Amino acid sequence: MIDCVDLSIDSGEVFGLLGPNGSGKTTLLRLIAGYLEEDTGQVEVDGYRVDKDPLHARRAIGYVPEQAPLYPELSVLENLSFAGRLRGIKGAALKNAVGRVIDQLELASVADRLIARLSKGFRQRVALGQALLAKPKLLILDEATSGLDLEQAFVFYELVRDFASEGSVIFSSHVLSEVERIADRVGFLVGGRLLNIETNKLLNANRPSSPLESAFLDALASQRATQNVGTDP
Amino acid sequence: MSALILKELRSLFRSPIAYIVVAVFLAVLGYTFSSVLYLTRVPTFVHTVFQSANLLLVVVPILTMRSFAEERRSATFELLITAPVPSYQLVLAKFVGAYITVAALIGTTVVFPLTLAWLGAPDWGPILSGYLGLLGLSSVLVAIGICASAATTHQAIAAVSAIGVSLLLWMAGTLAVLLPDPFDHLPLALSLHGHLRPFATGLIYLSDLGFFVLATMIALVLAHRLLGRRP
Repeated sequence: MIDCVDLSIDSGEVFGLLGPNGSGKTTLLRLIAGYLEEDTGQVEVDGYRVDKDPLHARRAIGYVPEQAPLYPELSVLENLSFAGRLRGIKGAALKNAVGRVIDQLELASVADRLIARLSKGFRQRVALGQALLAKPKLLILDEATSGLDLEQAFVFYELVRDFASEGSVIFSSHVLSEVERIADRVGFLVGGRLLNIETNKLLNANRPSSPLESAFLDALASQRATQNVGTDP
Repeated sequence: MSALILKELRSLFRSPIAYIVVAVFLAVLGYTFSSVLYLTRVPTFVHTVFQSANLLLVVVPILTMRSFAEERRSATFELLITAPVPSYQLVLAKFVGAYITVAALIGTTVVFPLTLAWLGAPDWGPILSGYLGLLGLSSVLVAIGICASAATTHQAIAAVSAIGVSLLLWMAGTLAVLLPDPFDHLPLALSLHGHLRPFATGLIYLSDLGFFVLATMIALVLAHRLLGRRP
């Protein structure tokens, strides 16, 4: 369950969402992507309410869930083309968009290969490619580097940083170091609550050794202390 | 929506299920067609229409079981739901994709009337109305299959539940003999067998066509509602 989340992300910003397993990161991202509906509150993307104007809001979003949303029986090219058509790209524009993404993500060598025969790293790249096809304003990445080796993860970080020059990114993870590496701002989600948001630069300045880890542990300790006070007789 | 329909057809024919289903369907139907023709020596298509219907009751749920259940099981359901496409279009695309496949499957049986024409002089009226009836019945069966698939993440559960519902509707007419008037009208009105029978014998009633259309729409609306549930 998500509670007490008040978050605004600027254009060109990479927002890191940190939290332990089960903290609600995926639920929060699914709410923003329009996969789940909120009971109260509202989500707005590029000026469109996700609940009131879902089609416009979804056009502004590129979403990569934790498990790459790909059809194993189709090739890389077919998956990308299908994802493009789903987003209303047709004809020459579709061909250009698919070509651009294949170049950008270095997928040319596997373009005709079935997804079922690709490594996890390539699958994640294709999933990212699908999300980037329509040049979204907001890119949502849910634990998108899980299962990638270090080299693949670094390539992924670079791609995300490149995209940030065109739009905003929300990047969820439970790995502190990778959020530290690519995020401009970081929020800690614990028990469905967004505890605090700090800029990465500020964290680095205040805590020279393992700054993010210290901040995260501080936030967790503070949350637990609050809960204990609330439950004491 | 055409992208979704094409993807459905592509996915279906990239899996062995479609080919196995076509092979088994034609083999069983060929056997019964030959047996009936050999025994009766009458160039009639009535038996083949009912044999096809009996097979479709099992075959259609097998073809439709993957449609949403597989998407729900994998992350592709998230891709579809978060795409800027109205969810009713997703249901319609799944329906049209599966319906085209089933219609093509029925189309392969044209070899049987052609055999009758080669051996004798069949009455083409009941043959054509029989095909119309099979297409109407298939529409309901596909919609029930899509609905069952939208309700679960397990293909087997989708197939078994769709077969169960389809069989119950097929046999609903038999319940009428147990019920007093006027309660016997309801199972008769719901009977798929009862609505197909006139077509098989060369009679076309708008009420039967209307039933097939209405039942299809109800099942698709239900599928759309079930799609709103999130795993």
